[in-house]
Amino acid sequence: QDNPTLRFSAVFSEQDIRAEMMSLMSSQVAEIATIETYLGGNLFKQGTELVALQRGNLEMGNIAPQDISNQIPAWSVLTSAYLFRDADHLRTFFNSDVGAEFKAMAEEQLGIYILGPTYFGARQVGLITENKINTPEDMAGIKLRMPGGDAWQFLGTAIGANPTPMAYAEVYTGLQTGAIDGQDNPLPNVENMKFYEVMKQIALTSHLVGFDLLVINKASWDAMSPEQQEAFQAAADVAIDFSQQEHLAREAELAERFKSAGLDVYTPDLDAFRAFAQQKYLESELAKDWPEGIVDRINAL
Amino acid sequence: MTTISLAFSLALGLITVLAFLGLPMGLAMICGSVLYLLMRGQDPGIVAEQFLNGMYSNYIMLAVPLFILAAEIMNSGTLSDRLLKWCDALVGRFRGGLAQVNVLQSIVFAGMSGSAVADAAGSGKMMQHMMTQNDKYTPSYAAALTAVTAVIGPIIPPSIPMVLYALVADTSIGYLFLGGVVPGLLMAGFMMVQIAITARVRDFPVEEPVPLRKLPRMTWEALPVLFMPIVLMYGIYGGITTPTEAAAVAAAYALLVSAVVYRAVKAPDLYQSVLTSAKTTASIGMLIAGALVFNYVVTVENIPRTISAILISWDLNPITFLIIVNIILLILGCVLEGTTILLVIVPVLIPTAQALGIDMVHFGVVAVVNIMLGLITPPYGLLLFIMTRISGSPMKHIIGDVMPFLWTLIGALILFTFVPETVLWLPKLFGYVPGGAGL
Amino acid sequence: MSPPLRNAGRWLYARAENLLAAMLATMFVVFIVQIVFRYLLNLPIGWTHEISVVMWLWMVLFGTAFVVRDSEEIRFDILYGAVGPRVRRAMVLASSLTLVVLFAISLPAVIDYILFMKVERTAYLKIRFDYLYSIYGIFAVAMIVRQLYLAWQAAWGRGADDFDHSKVSSGV
Ligand code: NA
Ligand code: NA
Repeated sequence: QDNPTLRFSAVFSEQDIRAEMMSLMSSQVAEIATIETYLGGNLFKQGTELVALQRGNLEMGNIAPQDISNQIPAWSVLTSAYLFRDADHLRTFFNSDVGAEFKAMAEEQLGIYILGPTYFGARQVGLITENKINTPEDMAGIKLRMPGGDAWQFLGTAIGANPTPMAYAEVYTGLQTGAIDGQDNPLPNVENMKFYEVMKQIALTSHLVGFDLLVINKASWDAMSPEQQEAFQAAADVAIDFSQQEHLAREAELAERFKSAGLDVYTPDLDAFRAFAQQKYLESELAKDWPEGIVDRINAL
Repeated sequence: MTTISLAFSLALGLITVLAFLGLPMGLAMICGSVLYLLMRGQDPGIVAEQFLNGMYSNYIMLAVPLFILAAEIMNSGTLSDRLLKWCDALVGRFRGGLAQVNVLQSIVFAGMSGSAVADAAGSGKMMQHMMTQNDKYTPSYAAALTAVTAVIGPIIPPSIPMVLYALVADTSIGYLFLGGVVPGLLMAGFMMVQIAITARVRDFPVEEPVPLRKLPRMTWEALPVLFMPIVLMYGIYGGITTPTEAAAVAAAYALLVSAVVYRAVKAPDLYQSVLTSAKTTASIGMLIAGALVFNYVVTVENIPRTISAILISWDLNPITFLIIVNIILLILGCVLEGTTILLVIVPVLIPTAQALGIDMVHFGVVAVVNIMLGLITPPYGLLLFIMTRISGSPMKHIIGDVMPFLWTLIGALILFTFVPETVLWLPKLFGYVPGGAGL
Repeated sequence: MSPPLRNAGRWLYARAENLLAAMLATMFVVFIVQIVFRYLLNLPIGWTHEISVVMWLWMVLFGTAFVVRDSEEIRFDILYGAVGPRVRRAMVLASSLTLVVLFAISLPAVIDYILFMKVERTAYLKIRFDYLYSIYGIFAVAMIVRQLYLAWQAAWGRGADDFDHSKVSSGV
């Protein structure tokens, strides 16, 4: 019998490190399944992949945790500022018992099986202004572009800024003309989109560890034998490890490159930011949906 | 690489047949996509999914209805007429003066509107009347000139087709707009030179010169109109509005000037303008959505990748590719409506253009110029139809007078194709990095 | 059609036009509010964006379903305009019945998708997507009815749409 074909859709481009991650993954599981990749959001638009997976119109995807939290409010904790310390902490979480609880929620309520988190860089504040940022108080009044939607805008508030929604494609001109004072994106995005050309400084706030979830829909997962599942998971782990290492290396390299390009790249008072943000989140509406004591449990990992 | 499936061929065939039968293009593409999904045993609900999510997630498309509204308000509120009179006072005194007025009017109009059809439909009647009274110009020459000059409307920013291109090519609207400025002005310049030469040969009339002392006052009165392109560009490049929001500013400005400054808009007229714009929006939106839905089918079939692989295997260099693209688009422009070409054909060519290292802003401007020429190429040229109706002159006479200009404009197109700097010089001045990632 | 029925039809059509115009007017006003808030008041807002996108989507589907006539749609009318009335009627019959069949077959799946979208809400106003997207279901049904009516007219010899190339809308 022929191997099943698994359609994979994602918004990242062919040039992205994660495109390499997917070809690594595909080549490893060639015996089990054929993965057809559609990138650049050409098949399903950003944010619509989850429903496509649920309805069986897609078998694999790279889903933002924000999309999952739309349907499972408890998941919104994973999109809050200063929850994960770094990529390792993120991985530790998903391999832990707490992580297993969250994965089970997604499996039961959405019918998707989570293969693992795909790290794509920590979000850093980049500004066109001169004044250095040390504490959240220094962010007051700064028009910081954040992705649209309440949850994202709140993230901006949680680091003390005046969040401004604007389409990603309009950010460069927005920075250039001063319609916005800054943006928050991982350094590889800043490179891709050439934001650094129009920015003066980068405060390495690392306020959100950026990740998506490599997922497969449950029907396709359950159709595999336990051995196949094990091999498939192992292949995903290898691919995810590779992508994470590449991203970490790239972030380090880019920080140096932006410095030599004349930008002021520095680390602000992270403890002040962390305390401010965690406080904001715990006081917010969002936290009402969070499992009891979850932040402490994740902090303790 | 996959080969093209039977389901895809049948879907494409169905769309073609339905289109020939006269079904609206957007609906035809939805029908073809349904057929494809049914044949492949996929969920036909995907049609609704792609339609709805595609329309919901493409924010920049909102510029389209707002630019349409802006043009409608401009045309209903005597802005176009005042502009014409001012142009007449300025260049009417030269030989072939009114013909030059027609060009100048279109340049200024182009700076406020994103649509060629709006220019011809808005200024066409008045221009026709001015040019043909006392037998100064033949009706067909006047009509041809209005059609030809309207072409530059969407090349000089703002521009609805460029907004649509930005959507399919994932390029910056801001830089695309800048890329159209020089080509648009060059095209207008070529037309003016051609008119000046024809004016000597055919001994075109000179207008009664408007006394120069009256010029300051007329300029003052036309100033709010002349100011509009500057307001728009300052909005976009001065950090006040995004290009999408600039469309709303254009409409607001036109409304302000017509209603408050010139007191020329009454409530019923305004309602008509809004309604007409909303209807036009619905029919363009339907076409855009049909293209989005069909794009899903094209993506599943890997069509752009397949075509790109074929073209690259021919070892084309960028110039040869661009020549082929120009020929394809010019031929399609003779039979298809421009938006359809932009949304269905151009996306299929983009991956190849990218693979060949052609700059996306350059490619976009070249494609848009091509599509604009399609508006005046027979048998199917929308501007030709509009001017036939406005002028009452037989279409074949209009075509006869359009032809010499068409050759000039094709010459301009060749120039833009071979000298990318004509397009890229201005965007670069504003910080554009050619070949760089979109914004 | 009896005169009272026709009058009722006209009245309804005028109300549909009012609604369509109101959608565009809303989009326009909301855009201006958005610019004023961000640039003049330094208070960036996002919900305006959501309203304008919803207006855009509804304008297209509602407008196509109830207001825009076929002769105003963007279509390829070279052949349609060149043939005689008998052939044109046959063409209308063929295209409208094809649409009716394909739209009808896909209707259950389309409705299933729309109902499924109850799981998602918009980012700012938290509108349920099944409500927001219900307009597509209405559009699909309206298209089936409209095209059936066109087919019926064509079959019984009533003149199909007159053609005038210059009436066609265009995005350029
Ligand atoms: Na003109
Ligand atoms: Na223009």
